[in-house]
Amino acid sequence: MTAVARLAHTVTSGALGYLHANRQFGAFEDEVNSDLNDPDGVYKPLCELALAASLVLRDGVTGTAEQQAARELLDFTWGQLRRGDLLYERQLRHPVLTDPLEVYSHHARSGYHHPALARTIDVGAAEDSMTEVLPNRRMAVANAHRVVGVPRDDDFEAMLRQTWLGRTPQPWVVDWYTAYHMTHAAFHITDWGGRPADMPADVAAYLETWLPVWFDVWAEAGQWDLVGELLIVSACLPEPRFVESEWELFAGLQHAEGFVPRDAEPVDDDPRLIYQNHQHTAVVAAIAGTVALSRLLGGGG
Amino acid sequence: MDASSCVRGAAHLADRVLGALRGSGCVGLAEFVDSCADATSGLGAVRLVGADVFLPHTVLDRPLSTGDAEVVAASMEVFPPVVAPATPEQRVMAWCDWTTARALARLSGDEPVAAPADPADVLGPAEDWARWSVRVAQLSSLAHPGAAGPVVDAVLAQPLALCRGVVRTVLRRDFGTATRLARWVGLLHAAGTPLPIDPGLLIEHVDLRVGAEPRRVLDLAVARHLVEATA
Repeated sequence: MTAVARLAHTVTSGALGYLHANRQFGAFEDEVNSDLNDPDGVYKPLCELALAASLVLRDGVTGTAEQQAARELLDFTWGQLRRGDLLYERQLRHPVLTDPLEVYSHHARSGYHHPALARTIDVGAAEDSMTEVLPNRRMAVANAHRVVGVPRDDDFEAMLRQTWLGRTPQPWVVDWYTAYHMTHAAFHITDWGGRPADMPADVAAYLETWLPVWFDVWAEAGQWDLVGELLIVSACLPEPRFVESEWELFAGLQHAEGFVPRDAEPVDDDPRLIYQNHQHTAVVAAIAGTVALSRLLGGGG
Repeated sequence: MDASSCVRGAAHLADRVLGALRGSGCVGLAEFVDSCADATSGLGAVRLVGADVFLPHTVLDRPLSTGDAEVVAASMEVFPPVVAPATPEQRVMAWCDWTTARALARLSGDEPVAAPADPADVLGPAEDWARWSVRVAQLSSLAHPGAAGPVVDAVLAQPLALCRGVVRTVLRRDFGTATRLARWVGLLHAAGTPLPIDPGLLIEHVDLRVGAEPRRVLDLAVARHLVEATA
C-alpha cells in the first residue's frame, strides 16, 4: 500500500502543480456575461479546476504546498467567476440551469459563499426548477444540493438505479461515453469518495468484478483520461481497490511538468495547446491522487 | 499439401460436424478425407479440428464408426502428437492432442493415454487473467459436455478469471476468441458454478456478431448446448 500511496501523492502533487502554474491559460479572455455563448470553452474547465482543488482541500492529505496551491486555484476560479456574481446572474436569468449550482458547490465546500446566489438556489430547489438531464447528471445535481446544504427529498439510491451503473448491465455493453457516465454515477453516489458506504453492495461488487477488465481494455486503447477516472472509481468503493500496477502505469504517463496526456496521441509543444488538450486529465489525476491517498489513510468511512 | 488447404479443409469438416450435431446423421470422416484434393491435407484438417470431430458422440451419444476411428488414428500417425512440449504453443497443442487421443481411446476401447504435465504449466497464473484466458481459449476443444481432466478442473476453479477474460475479448471485438471462451463459460454453467455474467446472453451477443466461420459457429453450438442442457 505504501507504494500506491507514494504514487498517488506524486500524481496529485504533480498535476496540481501543473494546474496551478498554468492557471492563466484557463482565464476568461474577454468580458463574459451570464449567457456564456460557449460554456464548454473556458467556463467548464474552470469549474473542473475548482472541483479538483476543492477535493484536495476537503481531503487535506497532501502537503502544505499542495494545500496552498489548491487554495490559490480556488481564489483564481472564484475571481474569474467575479466572486460568484457570474454564477448568481446566470442562475437568476436561467433558473432551470444546473451548472451555477454545481460550480457553486465546489466553492461553497471550500468556504466561498455568495448569499444572494445561495438564496436563489434555495428558491429554485423549492420550485423544483431544473432542466431535464441524464440520470447520472441528475445525481450530480443532487450531490451539489447536498454539498451546498439545500434540504431536498432526493433519494440517491433510486436515482442511481436509473443510471447505467445502477442497473448493473452485462459488463460488455459499455462504450467510451457510457464508461464516463458509469464513473460519474459512482462519483456522485459517494460524493467523490467522501461517502463510500453510500454505494449499494451489489453495485460495489459489480465494480470490483469489472473494473480490472475495463481498465485493461481502455489502457490498451491508450485512453488515459478514462483510465484515470477508473482509478477514482476504484478509490470510491466501500472497500477501496488499489492495484499497484495500475497506479504505476498511470504515474508513468505523467510528464515532468505534471500533466498527464489524455490519450496516446503525440503531445503538442505549445504550452497553451497542452493546457487546452490535457487540462482535464490533469484534473482527473489530481482528484485520483487525493481521493486514493485519503482512502489509504482511512478517510471517507 | 499446404497449410491453407488444411485450414480450408478444417472449415469444411467443422461444418460437417455442425451438421451432425444438428441431426444430419454422422460426420463421415472417411468420406470427408476422400473428398479432399489430397489425403494428407484431409488428415491435417482432421488434426486441426481435433477432438471436436467427436462432438456428435460426446454431445448426442452417437456411436463412433470404425472407419471414423481409423481416420483419426491415421491423422495422428501422419501428424504425430506433441510429446515433449517446450514452448507455450506446444503445451497448448499437447493438451489438445491428449484430448483427441483420450477420446479416441475411450470410443474405440483402447488403453487410456497419459495426460501432459501440470495444467498450471500451460495456463499460467489465473491472477494474470488476461493472458490466462487466452490460453484457456486456445484449449477450447477440451470444453464439451461431460468434459473432465486436470485442465477442466483448473478452469472450473477460476470462474472470475474466465468471465473477465471473455468480457475483455467481447470489448476488444475479438469474437473468435469469445466463441472459444463461451464454451468454457457454458461448461462452468453446466457444472452449476455461479457466474457474474449471463451465459445465454453472452452467446446471443457473440452469435450476432461473429459471422459464419464454421469453427466459430461450432464453438457457439457447443456453448449453447451446454447452457441449454442445464437451463
